[in-house]
Amino acid sequence: MSYLPANYKNVQCTPVCKQRQHAKSNKTRTSFCHACFVTHGILIFCRLIKGHEARNYDYTIYHPLAEISTWMGQMVSENPDVVTLVDYGSTYENRTISLLKIGLKSDVTKKAVWMDCGIHAREWISPAFCQYFVKEILRTYKTDSKVEELLKNLDFYITPVLNVDGYLYTWKDNTTRLWRKTRSPGTDGCDCIGTDLNRNFEANWGMVGVSQNCCSNVYPGFKALSEAEARSVVDFVEPRKNDIVCFFTIHSYGQLILFPYGHPNVTAPNYNELAEISQAAAKAIKAVHGMTYTVGSFAEALYPAAGSSMDWARLIGIPFAFTFELRDEGSFELPENQILPTCEETYAGVHSVITYVHNKIFYSAAITASATLWTTLSSSLLYFTLLYFT
Amino acid sequence: MCEWEPGISTQFPSTPGNQTEAAPSNLVLCLLKQGQSPVERRLTPHTPAASPSVPGQEDIQAAMPVEELDPSHYPATRAAKVAEHFINTRYGSPFAWFGSSGVKKAGLEFTLKEMTRNDMGLCSAEVLFHRADERKPPQVQCTCSGAFQVNTSAEEEDLYQRLRNATSLLSGSDIPNSVGHIDPEMAPFWHLGGVASSFIMLRESNESTLLNMAHIDNFTQMETKDAQLMFQYDILLHDMVSQEILKWKLLLSWSPDGGVKVLEAEWDPKCHKILFLHLFIIFLIYPNKTIY
Repeated sequence: MSYLPANYKNVQCTPVCKQRQHAKSNKTRTSFCHACFVTHGILIFCRLIKGHEARNYDYTIYHPLAEISTWMGQMVSENPDVVTLVDYGSTYENRTISLLKIGLKSDVTKKAVWMDCGIHAREWISPAFCQYFVKEILRTYKTDSKVEELLKNLDFYITPVLNVDGYLYTWKDNTTRLWRKTRSPGTDGCDCIGTDLNRNFEANWGMVGVSQNCCSNVYPGFKALSEAEARSVVDFVEPRKNDIVCFFTIHSYGQLILFPYGHPNVTAPNYNELAEISQAAAKAIKAVHGMTYTVGSFAEALYPAAGSSMDWARLIGIPFAFTFELRDEGSFELPENQILPTCEETYAGVHSVITYVHNKIFYSAAITASATLWTTLSSSLLYFTLLYFT
Repeated sequence: MCEWEPGISTQFPSTPGNQTEAAPSNLVLCLLKQGQSPVERRLTPHTPAASPSVPGQEDIQAAMPVEELDPSHYPATRAAKVAEHFINTRYGSPFAWFGSSGVKKAGLEFTLKEMTRNDMGLCSAEVLFHRADERKPPQVQCTCSGAFQVNTSAEEEDLYQRLRNATSLLSGSDIPNSVGHIDPEMAPFWHLGGVASSFIMLRESNESTLLNMAHIDNFTQMETKDAQLMFQYDILLHDMVSQEILKWKLLLSWSPDGGVKVLEAEWDPKCHKILFLHLFIIFLIYPNKTIY
């Protein structure tokens, strides 16, 4: 676990220095620690062996957009060999949509994992989780061989905030906090703002779980992919659909692990496998803090709804697509003291899914390759034996 | 003119007489049990003790055949939510606030949490949705057992006396705030708002809703001459199915003896070309102790 305690906001301290603290106040701690690490000069060494952490970034509070953008830049500058920033689209209000590409460099095209957070503006725990996830894999890949293997074989595309305009709007004041949609204007004389991004994708668009009134919170847009934000996702993911093996979209609330489809009349060909993976993830989540997450297809466990990003991902062939609905069971305004436990359990769930998918691809593939080799060898042997005797 | 409705019926019976339906006398409502013996909340001479006998099943029709429900599917979750609202109307107080968490059996068994003390238990419930007449609220009967501390009379009395003896009227706003924080002094009023909301949410629930109280915009204590304390609340409810935020204005009264009563409830629909507000004023008199 991190050697920075959660409430240790503005002081970076080495493990050695931490042991010597007796002072209770932050100020005294600060000056003591600074003196300590200057004397020992261990800080650089500690960072080398522990992996890099963004200085002063608190993963147990909610961050406004500007801080998240700065943090993304910090992730790149602190981990330049594994992290790249990719600006891959823009919003209605012309803001940039960015993701962090995380993975060990490779000469060959790698398989990849997609994760988007903050499709719905008011679900603040979602961007908080993406930031935590990034922090955690960067913190552990140098010391945890399993995480290192994941980063070696996979690239991770993490979008901390997809609905940038909406997220910014929810920070405006306490009357805007519960905004859900984008901020694009209504069309055809309809006066209200915004489209539900998670109904806007080309996946049985507009068929169920929507309202054609543009004032509704489940308005799917005047047409599929009317939203710049949705088009940005499609423009990035579609060309990479043969490489992306796992697609996560993170939401709240409800404590659910959902898999395709949201349309009730469509069943994924790998429904059983998706259910098994999701059950295992729910079990992994429960093991952390005892929280129950309900598992099911989107249409069965939540409500029928078409046009979601998850449905679209599955339809274009990405085999493993999941919607995670995080804590709690009644509110979008999750208290900050629940951010860390929520992130910890969600990380366990997501990690369990990624590990399954990774092992299926890379270990089964290895088995297939060696089986092929063996078959080839034995048939060659047979051929030459036959040749010899005839 | 409001053209759009959020899926919540606006057709309320508007007289008090229609509100309280006399339930069959053999209906046993939720008993929150501690250990073996049932504990009844707020028993007064006006309320005959509910019979501890097992309810008759004859007049209860399941909303859908039980064998069709899967515990992880949404009909069971929605039914548990309705039972949760019902339990809060009966047992909720400024110091007791219940949540359903995790359906165990579709038929219906779910985990119940008392959220101020993290007490947990198991409820078995039957929830009846009146499909023929959606204006009728769902009917619930249930039995719950677990380590619930339902006796909060000391804290309630303490709060009641503090408010009665205060020199100024209390008010609060933005509960919780954007980052989910509730001041400890405001927590009882969050729960009080929740209990009052539960009457509304119970009334408004059907098979296509999943209602939660999302936010208290503000509440204000009102002047009263009698024993009941009175509050005006501006509350936001969230319906998971439509994803809409529903604004309700509630006038409620509370005292440790009288329980929570919703006196007036007004839904503020989302109109964008508002020429005049549609005001639906409903007089709801739902005492916590219901006479059966």
